[in-house]
Amino acid sequence: MAGANVDLLQGTLDVLILKTLVGGPMHGWGIAQRIQQVSEEVLRVNQGSLYPALHRLEDEGWIAAEWGASENNRKAKYYRLTRRGQRQLEAETESWQRFAAAVARILQTA
Amino acid sequence: MSSWLDRIHRAARMLRSRKLRELEMDEELRHHLALETEANVGRGLPAEEARRAALVRLGGLEQSKEACRESWPGRLFADLGQDVRYGLRGLRRSPGFTAAVALTLGLGIGANTAVFSLVNGVLLKPLPYARGEQLVVLRQPDARAALADMGFSVQEVRDYREMSRAFDSVVEYHSMDFTLLGDGDARRVRTGVVSWNFFDVLEVKPLLGRTFRAEDETPTADAVLVLSHDYWRTLGSDAGIVGRRFEMNDHVHTVVGVLPPIPEYPNHNDVYMPATACPFRNRPDTLASRRARMLNAFARVAPGVSLAQAQADVDGVAGRLRAAYPDALPRDSQARVALSPLKEDLVRQARPTFLVLLATVALVLLIACANVANLTLARLVERSRELAIRAALGAGRVRLLRQLLTESTILALAGGALGLLLAYATRDLLTAFAARLTPRAAEIAIDGRVLLFTLGMSVLTGVLAGTLPGLPGREKIAPTLLGDSGRTTGDRRRQRMRASLVAWQLALSFVLLIGAALMLRSFENLRRVDAGFRGDQVLTARLNLNFSAYFNAEHRVDNERVNAFYRAVEDQLRGQPGVLSIGAAWTFPLNSSFQNDGTFQIEGRDAPGGPAPKATFVGVSPAYFEALGVPLLRGRVFDERDRAGGPTAVLVNQRLARRHWPEGDPVGQRISGDRGRTWRTIVGVVGDVRQEALDREPPDAVYLPFREFPGFSAILFVRTLGAPGRIAEQIRAAARTADPQTAVTSIRTLDDIRSEALSSPRLTSMLLGLFAAVALVITAAGLGGLIAYSVSRRTHEIGIRMALGADRGRITAMVLREGMSSVLIGLVIGMAGALALSRLVTGLLFGVGPNDPICFAASALVLVLAAVAGCLLPARRATAVNPITALRAEA
Repeated sequence: MAGANVDLLQGTLDVLILKTLVGGPMHGWGIAQRIQQVSEEVLRVNQGSLYPALHRLEDEGWIAAEWGASENNRKAKYYRLTRRGQRQLEAETESWQRFAAAVARILQTA
Repeated sequence: MSSWLDRIHRAARMLRSRKLRELEMDEELRHHLALETEANVGRGLPAEEARRAALVRLGGLEQSKEACRESWPGRLFADLGQDVRYGLRGLRRSPGFTAAVALTLGLGIGANTAVFSLVNGVLLKPLPYARGEQLVVLRQPDARAALADMGFSVQEVRDYREMSRAFDSVVEYHSMDFTLLGDGDARRVRTGVVSWNFFDVLEVKPLLGRTFRAEDETPTADAVLVLSHDYWRTLGSDAGIVGRRFEMNDHVHTVVGVLPPIPEYPNHNDVYMPATACPFRNRPDTLASRRARMLNAFARVAPGVSLAQAQADVDGVAGRLRAAYPDALPRDSQARVALSPLKEDLVRQARPTFLVLLATVALVLLIACANVANLTLARLVERSRELAIRAALGAGRVRLLRQLLTESTILALAGGALGLLLAYATRDLLTAFAARLTPRAAEIAIDGRVLLFTLGMSVLTGVLAGTLPGLPGREKIAPTLLGDSGRTTGDRRRQRMRASLVAWQLALSFVLLIGAALMLRSFENLRRVDAGFRGDQVLTARLNLNFSAYFNAEHRVDNERVNAFYRAVEDQLRGQPGVLSIGAAWTFPLNSSFQNDGTFQIEGRDAPGGPAPKATFVGVSPAYFEALGVPLLRGRVFDERDRAGGPTAVLVNQRLARRHWPEGDPVGQRISGDRGRTWRTIVGVVGDVRQEALDREPPDAVYLPFREFPGFSAILFVRTLGAPGRIAEQIRAAARTADPQTAVTSIRTLDDIRSEALSSPRLTSMLLGLFAAVALVITAAGLGGLIAYSVSRRTHEIGIRMALGADRGRITAMVLREGMSSVLIGLVIGMAGALALSRLVTGLLFGVGPNDPICFAASALVLVLAAVAGCLLPARRATAVNPITALRAEA
C-alpha cells in the first residue's frame, strides 16, 4: 500500500485536521484514520507529526481539547473545532481552492 | 491572530502547567498506541509485532514526545533551564577541562576588562565638566621659533575675551609654586592662578564652600584660596576647612572652598587663587607689556558655534591685534591663535598607548577563544557517545548545538568573573600607569559600563568558542553508538579545523610577539640613551624660597639676599663628609614640564628673514657641570665672578656650538637673548644634556649664570662619595638653618629621575611582553593538544612504522613536522599581519623601525621554540608507543 501514498504538503495537515473535526469531536488516532479513509487511502498521515500539529492548533485556539471516554471505555483526549477554528478553516479552504485551481489551470494549459 | 500579550500569557501558563502537559501527552500517546496496536491485531498481526508496528508508525515514542514538546510555547525558557543544569553537571564531571577553559578565558577577559577600564575612563567618558565638548584650549604659536605656544599676556587675554564673539567666555590660567605657612613646616604649594570665573566656565561645582566670585578678582580684595581635592585630603579631609587661614606671599589667605576630584589641566595644583592675587602676574611691567606672555588661555565656545567658526573668529581677532600692535609679536611671525578641544589635549599622550594595549588584549582574547574552541572540539570527540545517545532520544541538532553553546557560555561567564577579579586586583597599578600619560587617570574605575563590557565580552566569547567547533555530522552518531572508534570523514574535517585554528593562534601570537619585541627593543634603546650626565650618587632637591620675604623696595626679587641664602646652604653642605660637589640650577634634566625656550641673536650675523636661532635657557651655578658630570669641552665654566655686574658670560652646549659655528670656535663670540640690549660673551662649551626627555634629542642650550639670575625656586644637586640617601636630612637641615621658611621638596637621586622617565615605557613594554607571553603559552598548549590528539589517533600507524624499523628520531621528526607545518602557516599569516599593523605602534617606538628585521627574526625564533616545546611532549609519547600493543589494540 505504500506506493500509492502521497506525502502531505507542509501545512496541509492543519487544514485537514480542522476539516475532519467539522463532523464532531474526535481523538488523535480517530482523526488519522478518518483522513486516510476519506481520501480513499491516498493520503497517509505521518503519525509522528500528527500530535505536534494537534498541540500547535490547540495553542493557537483553533481547536479545544477535553478528556472523555472512548468507544471501549478508555480515557481519551477529544478535540473539537472552536469558533475561531471554524473561521480559520474557511479562510484556508478558500486559499487552498484558489491554489489548487491555479495549479490545475497551469497543468492543463501546458 | 492572537496578540503578543496573549502569546506571553499562554507561554506563562504553559510553563506552569508543563508537568500536567507531560502527563496528558503520555496518556494521549498511550491511548493512540493501544488503538493502533488493536487495529494491527485486527489485521492479523501477532500481538508483539502489532505493537512494534504501531511504534514504528508513530516514529518512536520518545521522538514523538520530543516533537510535541518542540511545538509547545515557552519551550525556549524551559530548555534553557535544562541546558544550564545539564551543562553544569557535565562541567563538574570534567574539572580539568573546566578549570583550563575558565582560566584561559579569565586571563583573556581580565586583560580586556582592565584595559577597557583605562580606555573607558580616559578616552570614552565625556569630560566631567558640564558640556565639556565646548571647552577649547587657545594657543599662540610662534612659527618662526617653532614654538607651539608662547602663551598670552594679560592684555591679550583681555582682548580675546572682549573682541571675539565665538566664545561664552575666555579665562586665563598659570601655575606657580608658592610657600604656604600655617601649621608646622613651610610647604611649597603648586598654585593655579585663574580668572575668577575659571571654575564657572568649566562648570565645576565646589565640594565644600564656594569657588571664586567677580569681587575676588580685584587688586584690593581679601586673598582667598580654593583647595584641590587631593590637597584637601593631605590636610586631613577636614569638613570644616572653609574659613581656615594660611599665610602666603606675605598675606593672610582664607580658604573659601574645596574642589571635587576633577582632572586638572595643564597641570595638577594644590591650591587655586584669583588672577589678581599673584605677585608676579600683577607686577606693573607684566601688566603693561603685551609681550610678557606667561598665561594659558581656555575658552568655552558659545552654544551653536562650531569649532571652525570659532577658529575663523579668533583668526580675525588675531589679525586686528596684529595690525593694532605691530611690535607685540615677533617680526615675520604669523598672527594666529590655534584652538583645540580640551579633551584632545587631556588624552593626546595616552591615546596611542591605550589603543595599542586594547588591540593587544583583543588579540590575546581571540587566541584564548581559539584555544577554548579547540579544547571543546577535543572534548566533543570524548562526548560523541553521549551526544549520540541524546540525538537518538530525539534531541535535534539545534538542540544539541544550544546545549554546547550553553556550556561554553557558562564557562565564559565564569571566565568573566575571574577576569573581573583580575581587573580589580590590577586597577591601582594601571591607574598609576595611566597617570603618567593623562590627567584623567583618576576617572578610571570599574563602573557600570566596564561591567557591561565584561558581560558582553563573556557572552560573545562563549558564543564564539561554542560555535567554532560546530557539531558532529549526522553520519557520525550511529557508528559511535555501536562502539566503533569513529574514524569518519567528519572526524577528519574536525581535525583540519583544529589545525587551522591553531595556525591562526600561531599567527596572532607572532603578531603579538613582534609588537612586544619592538617595544622591548625601543625600551632598551631608551634605557641606553646617554642623557649627558652621570646620575649615580647625585641627590637632587628642590628648594622653594618664600620669595615674598626676598622682595626689595621696588617689589623685585633681591638677588643679593637670594644668593646669600643659596650660598649659605651650599657652604653648610660642603662641610659635610662625603660631599664632593654642589650645583644649583633652574631645572633638573629630563624635566618635560620645564619650558624656557627662546630665540637669540649672534653678534654680526643678523640675517632678517631667516629663522631666528632658538635655544633653551637654563641658569646654572659654577659647580653644576661638575656635580652632574657634564664635560667641559672648551673654555671655562662659570665661577663666582659671574654675577650681577660681572662679565655677562654665557655657556653653550656642543649642539648649539656645532650648529652655529660648525668650523670655528664659539668661545669669545657674543650672543643676545633680548634683541641686542645686552650682549653676552660665550666663555665655554659644555656637553649636551637631555633636558626635556630621554626620547628627545638634547635641545640647543644656552646656560646663564645662576648667581646673576637666581630663581626663588631652584634644584640643588649634591654629588656624594657614598650612598647619596644619607645627605637628604642634611639638605633639609641646611635649608632650615639658612631660612626656616624654605620648603624642601622632591628629594631624589638623579638616577631616580632617570628611572622615573623610563617607568611609563617600561610598564608599556612589560605589559605587551606579558600579554605576548600569555598568548604564547596558550598557543603552545593549543598546538601541543592538537599534536597529542593526532598522535593518539595514529598510534596504530606509528606502531607499524616502528615495527618496520623507524627509530625514535624519525618518529619524533614526523610528529614535529606535523606541528611545524602549522607554525609555517602561522608565520606567513602573522608576518603579513605584523607588516600591516606594526605601523600603528610607530609613535611608541624609539630608535627602532616598525619593520625591524631583528625583532621579526627574534619573534619568529621564539615562536618556533615555543612550538617545538609544545610538540615535544606528544612526540615523546609517540616514540614510547610499543609496536606490539599498538597493533593489537586495533586488531
